[in-house]
Amino acid sequence: MPNASDTRHPTSTAGSPAVTATEPTGTGATGSGTNRTWRRVARVVALVVCAALVLAFPELAPNAYILSAGIVVASYACTATAWNFMGGFTGYVSLGHAAFFGLGAYGTAILIRDLGLPSFVAWLLAGLLVLLITIPLGIAALRVRGASFVIVSISFVLILLLVFQGWGSFTGGSDGLVVPRPFPDLLRPEHHRVFFYLFAALLAAMLLAWWAIDRSRFGTGLKAVREDEDKAQALGVPTRNYKLVAYVVSATFTALAGGMYALWFGDLDPIFQFSIMLGSYMVLMALFGGVRHLYGPLLGAVVVGVGLEYFKLEFGDTQLHLVATALLLGLVVLFMPDGLIPAAQALVKRFGPQDSSIREVTAAELLERNRAASGTAGTTDGDRDEPADAAGTGRSEGDASTGGDR
Amino acid sequence: MTGTLLFQSLVLGVLLGGLYALLAAGLTLYFGVMRVVMIAHSAFLILAAYLAWFFNQQTGMDPLLSLVVTVPLFFLVGVGMQRLLITRLRPATLTMMSVLLTFAVALFIEGMIGFVWSGTQRRIQLPYSSASVEFFGAHIAVVKLVAFALAALSLALLYLIMKHSRFGQALRATIQHSEAAQLVGIKTDRVAGFGFGLGLATAAIGGTALSLDATIYPSLHWHWIGPLMAIIVVGGLGSIPGAAIAAMVLGIGQSLLQVPLGTTWAQTIFYVALFVTLMLRPQGFFGGRLAQRF
Amino acid sequence: MKTTVETGRSLETVGLSRSFGGVHAVRDATVTFQQGKINALIGPNGSGKTTFFNCVTGMIKPDSGTVTFKGHDITRRSPHRIARAGIGRSFQLCRVFPRMTVLENLLVAVQPKGLRDLLSGARNPAEIDRARALLVRVGIDHLENSEARNLSYGQQKLLELAGVLMGDPDTIMLDEPAGGVNPALIGRIATLVQELNAEGKTFLVVEHNMELVMSLSDHVIVFDRGRPIAEGPPETVQSDPRVLEAYLGV
Repeated sequence: MPNASDTRHPTSTAGSPAVTATEPTGTGATGSGTNRTWRRVARVVALVVCAALVLAFPELAPNAYILSAGIVVASYACTATAWNFMGGFTGYVSLGHAAFFGLGAYGTAILIRDLGLPSFVAWLLAGLLVLLITIPLGIAALRVRGASFVIVSISFVLILLLVFQGWGSFTGGSDGLVVPRPFPDLLRPEHHRVFFYLFAALLAAMLLAWWAIDRSRFGTGLKAVREDEDKAQALGVPTRNYKLVAYVVSATFTALAGGMYALWFGDLDPIFQFSIMLGSYMVLMALFGGVRHLYGPLLGAVVVGVGLEYFKLEFGDTQLHLVATALLLGLVVLFMPDGLIPAAQALVKRFGPQDSSIREVTAAELLERNRAASGTAGTTDGDRDEPADAAGTGRSEGDASTGGDR
Repeated sequence: MTGTLLFQSLVLGVLLGGLYALLAAGLTLYFGVMRVVMIAHSAFLILAAYLAWFFNQQTGMDPLLSLVVTVPLFFLVGVGMQRLLITRLRPATLTMMSVLLTFAVALFIEGMIGFVWSGTQRRIQLPYSSASVEFFGAHIAVVKLVAFALAALSLALLYLIMKHSRFGQALRATIQHSEAAQLVGIKTDRVAGFGFGLGLATAAIGGTALSLDATIYPSLHWHWIGPLMAIIVVGGLGSIPGAAIAAMVLGIGQSLLQVPLGTTWAQTIFYVALFVTLMLRPQGFFGGRLAQRF
Repeated sequence: MKTTVETGRSLETVGLSRSFGGVHAVRDATVTFQQGKINALIGPNGSGKTTFFNCVTGMIKPDSGTVTFKGHDITRRSPHRIARAGIGRSFQLCRVFPRMTVLENLLVAVQPKGLRDLLSGARNPAEIDRARALLVRVGIDHLENSEARNLSYGQQKLLELAGVLMGDPDTIMLDEPAGGVNPALIGRIATLVQELNAEGKTFLVVEHNMELVMSLSDHVIVFDRGRPIAEGPPETVQSDPRVLEAYLGV
C-alpha cells in the first residue's frame, strides 16, 4: 500500500497545476498557448496513469489485507470528496458528516432487512431517503454561519449516535447490525475486488460531479459564498438555496459512500458509523490535500488514509492514532491551511521557472496607466491640482469619520 | 411519578445545572473574547478529572486539593494556547480554523489520557462517596452537593471578577466591541489570553467536581461537549448569563426527563433545544446578537 | 404594472425604522429618491445612513415601514431578490471576493436563467467580453487574472464598482465610494458615476466627502439621528440651518 501511494503522490502533484488552470497565477506570460497545450497533455497523462493505477491496484495488491486496506482508503476518498461539495465550495466546515455516512449505511441495511429489497436498490433508496431528510435538516442548519454551523453539524452526529444506540429494537443498538451480503457466492478476495471497483466508480462519479459544478455558474456562486456571503447576496446570488443544494448533494454522496461501506463490511455499530472521528477524517483529508482542488480530498485520503492504516497495523489499537491524527490536523491547520496541492505549487513556482510577481507587474503597469490617465482625464477632471486639493479637504473630513457609521 | 421522585429529580437537575452553568460559562467566554468555539473545553474537563483521580490515587488525599495545582496550571495553559496557537491563525478564517485546531487539541488530550492511563474506566472512592443527606424526602448524594457548591462558588467568583474587577471590565468591553475596546486603550490581545485562561480554569474546577461523582474514561468528553455547545447556542453565543440560565433550564429538563425516558433519550433534550433555537431565534434566547454571523 | 409614468419616484421608503437593543438607528424615515438622478445621503456619524442603506438592500430587516421600488413592495425581500430587481450596491469598506480572480469576481454577478443555465459553464464568451469591457471602463483590465486580494485598495474599489455594474442594475447604491481612496482615484470614480448617470442609471451615494457630494449630486438628503431632516439641491441644503445644526451641533 505505501508503494501505491508513493507512485500516485508525485503524479497527482504534477497534474495539479493543470487542474487549477482556471486560477492562472502569472500575468504577462508570453507564449502561454504552447504552455497551455503542454499542460493539457500533462493533465491527460496524469489522469490516465492515475486511472490505470487504480484499476490495476487489485491485481497488484500482494494479499487480501492490502486489498481491504485499499478499499478503506477508497471509502475515505469517497467521503472526503463528498464532504468537499460543502466544505470546499462554500467554506462551511461540517464536522458531523459522519451522520450522513451512518444514515446511508443503516438505511441500506435496514431496507434490505425489513423490506427484502435487492442490495443495490436499497443502497440507492437509502441515498434518496438521506437526500429528502437533508432538506429540512439543511434548512435548519444553514440558518446560522461559521461556528454555530459547526456546532450544529457536530450535534447531528451526537444525536444520531444517541438515537441509534437507544433504539436497539430497530437498529440493533450496540450489539451491531449484520448486513446481508450482496454477492453471497463470491469468495472473500473476489468480494474485495468487486467492492474496490465499486468504490472507485462511486468516486469517479463524485469527481465528475465536482468538476462539473466547479466550472458552472452554480459553482461560481458557491465559491462566492465561501469568499464573502453578504457580498454574494448583494450581487444577486440566492445564497441560501445554493448552500442548501450543495449541502444536500454533499450529504447524499456521503450517504451513498456509507451504504457502499455497509454492503462491503457487512457489520454496523453506531459507535463506528456515527463517529466524530470519521467526520474529522473527512475534514482532515480534504484540508490536507486542498479543499479548492478537485483531487485535493483524494490526495489527502490517500496520504492520510494510508498513514492511518499503517498506524493501526504498526501500533495496534492503542490511543496513539488519536494523537497522530491530532498532531497532523493541528499542523495542517497551523502551517498548511490551503493544503498540499497549493503548497506544492508554491514550491514549484519558487524553484521552477521564475515568473515576475503579480505585484511588480501591476505596480509598473499601474504607473504607466496613471500617467496615461492623467494625460487624458485632464480635460474632464479639470486641472490635476484641483481634484487633489478638493480631496485634501475631503480627506480631513473623512478622517473625522473613520469610526464608521451604524 | 410520585411527588418525592419528582422533587428528587428537580433537586438533582438543579445540581447538574450548576455544573453545566459553570462549564458553559467558560465555553461562551472563549467565544466572546476570541470568536472561538473551543471544542477542547470538555477534553480539558476530563483531563482535570483524571488529574484529580491521579492525585487521589498517588497521595490518598482529597481530590479537591488537586485544584491548588490544576487551576493555575490550566489558567497558564489557556493563556499559552491563546498566545501560541490561536493567534497564529489568519483572521479571515479564524472561526472555522480555530474549531479544527481546538478539535485537534481535544483529540490529542483524549489520546494522551488513553495512552498514559489506558482506556479503563476510573472512579474515585471517597469516605463520603456513598453518603447522602435527606432533603424534604429527597436523597441527595453528598458528592453532588459538594460539586454543586464548588460550581456555584466559582460561578459567583467569575461573576464578581467580570462585574467588579478592572480586568473584568476590560474583558466585557472586549467581548462587546473589540475595536472600540482597543481604541480606549485596552490591550485586547492580553485580555483575550486571560479570558482563555479563565475559561480553562472553569474546566479545571468543573473536572474536579465531576471526578467526585462520575466514572471517567478518555472519550467521555464527547458526552459533554454536545450539551455544552447546545447550551451556549440556546443562551446566545458570548453571553455568560445566557449560558448560565440555559444551563439551568436544560439541566433540570434533562434530569426530569431521565425518569420516564432513561438517560440516553433524556440527553436529546439539548439537541431538541438547539434546533428549536435555530428555527425560532438563531441568535439565542438570552442576548448575544453575535451568533448568526459567527 | 408600469409605474414609469410616475417619474422621479422609483425608490422610496415610508416610515422605515430599525433599532438595535434600544438604540434607534433609523426611525420613521420617509425618503423618496429621484429616478435618473444622483442622490446623495449625508449626515454626521451615527446618523443611521448605513443602517438605512442596509434596510433598503435587505441586508437588515427593518422593524417597521416599507421600501418600494418601481411600485413594488420590496421591504422584506431577501438581498439577492432586491439585487435582481435592479438595485446594485457597494459596501462601506470595499468588499470583493479576495481569492477569486478579477474576472471571476465579475462573473459572480451574472444571473443564470433557469436550471440549465445554472449548470452550464461559468465562462461564457459573451459574458467574458462584457466583463472585460467593464474592466476596461473602470481601468483595471490589465489585472484580469490576478487574485483580487493582490490588488491595491483603490483597485479593489474599482473592481467592486465593476462587479455591481456587471449585474446591470438601474439603481446603484454606493456606500462611501471615496472613503480611503487617493485624490486621483476619487476623480476617476466621480467621472464614472457621472457617465453612468448620463446613460440613465440612478445613483444613491452615501458620502462624507462634502466637496464630492456638492459637485456630483443632483439631490441631497441629510440624515440626523436616524431620520431625514432636510433635502433638496446641494446649494439649498448647504445653507439650511438645520443641516448646520446637525453637523456642528450648534
